[in-house]
Amino acid sequence: MTPSAYAPALQRRFNVGDRVRVKAVHPPGHRRTPSYIRGKAGAIERVCGMFPNPEELAYGFDGEPKRVLYRVRFKQTDVWKSYSGPGGDWIELEIYEHWLDPA
Amino acid sequence: MSKHNPADIGGEPAGAIDTVDHGLKFWEKQANALRNTLTSGRIVRLDELRRAAEDLGLRYYRLDYFQRTTEALRNLLLEKGVFTRAELERKMDEVRERYDA
Amino acid sequence: MTHEHAHPHPEDEGPPSEHEIMSRAMQELLEEKGLVTAEQVRRRMELFEQEFPQRGSRVVAHAWTDPAFRKRLLEDGKAACAEWGLDLEADRLIALENTPQVHNVVVCTLCSCYPRALLGMPPTWYKSENYRRRVVREPRAVLKEFGTVIPESVAIRVHDSNADMRYVVVPMRPAGTEGWTEAQLASILTRDTLVGVALPRA
Repeated sequence: MTPSAYAPALQRRFNVGDRVRVKAVHPPGHRRTPSYIRGKAGAIERVCGMFPNPEELAYGFDGEPKRVLYRVRFKQTDVWKSYSGPGGDWIELEIYEHWLDPA
Repeated sequence: MSKHNPADIGGEPAGAIDTVDHGLKFWEKQANALRNTLTSGRIVRLDELRRAAEDLGLRYYRLDYFQRTTEALRNLLLEKGVFTRAELERKMDEVRERYDA
Repeated sequence: MTHEHAHPHPEDEGPPSEHEIMSRAMQELLEEKGLVTAEQVRRRMELFEQEFPQRGSRVVAHAWTDPAFRKRLLEDGKAACAEWGLDLEADRLIALENTPQVHNVVVCTLCSCYPRALLGMPPTWYKSENYRRRVVREPRAVLKEFGTVIPESVAIRVHDSNADMRYVVVPMRPAGTEGWTEAQLASILTRDTLVGVALPRA
């Protein structure tokens, strides 16, 4: 396997530039979607690829089928009620497809 | 909003950051290498270790980073039946005696 | 059976903590059960101590001097490092370019994800709860605590390394370094500059 930061994700819901919103849900268990970003809207910055689901790996399952992982970019002023920095500041996270809805 | 995961702390109010790097003690370097050897060898998964740390609940906040990762590893290995609590306690007594000797 | 690793190390002062005892006991049990060997653990310690920490500054120094490598590094950090002969093991590296308009800073709010095979162990502040809590919400104030002031005309991009990717910042090469060797350039690319809390100084 050629080393790469990315893995293929040919079948996916979103593309670079698409507006998406992170689900505002708070399920128990191991999740890699921080609370501070849930419910917020941003744009797909890049498609990282398909990876085994960490929410399943955490409990000894194999994490299959793999899920699509995206990097999503958010304006800081959209994330924090009183962001003290300039409007051009961003925050970028990796969000799994099943946590995203079109915005 | 209830927070299930003690590690989910991004955005919480907090005080000054200790910006000095305090490095690692020898045992912490060894613990890190052990953890790394276990994940490379697929004996445990990194995701399981993270989850085990989160399962510490409020205790998460009372432990420093390596105390946390050590307890998480212990709990995970107990969960997986790699060793029993009795075996671990016996071995810890042995190790403790070697230090006292 | 010898347990050379279980004797107090001269570096550590005072009696061992319960967690140190717990960690050593677990390692011995795992060795007895044939799941790890002392040699494997020793080898990993060596890699973390000697090999990994010097890689990041060398990679970025090389990117500063070789525009084609820089381009490949920014496109796919892991692939570029592999071509250059560096195996980053599990780390899926994304390189983030600082420009006159953009400054990048990295955190893992959920734990301490860090490109260990490129930079070695993360500094204690990176793993600290206060860094993890605050840098996503007030990056400029946090950077000031590190002595780094980013003007409001420069946008800050905070990257929360919360899933499978790992990040390294490619700082801007400072003026006054013209004609420097890669080794000289690497010497100013401290770990803090590669995470984004400091700027390299000539």
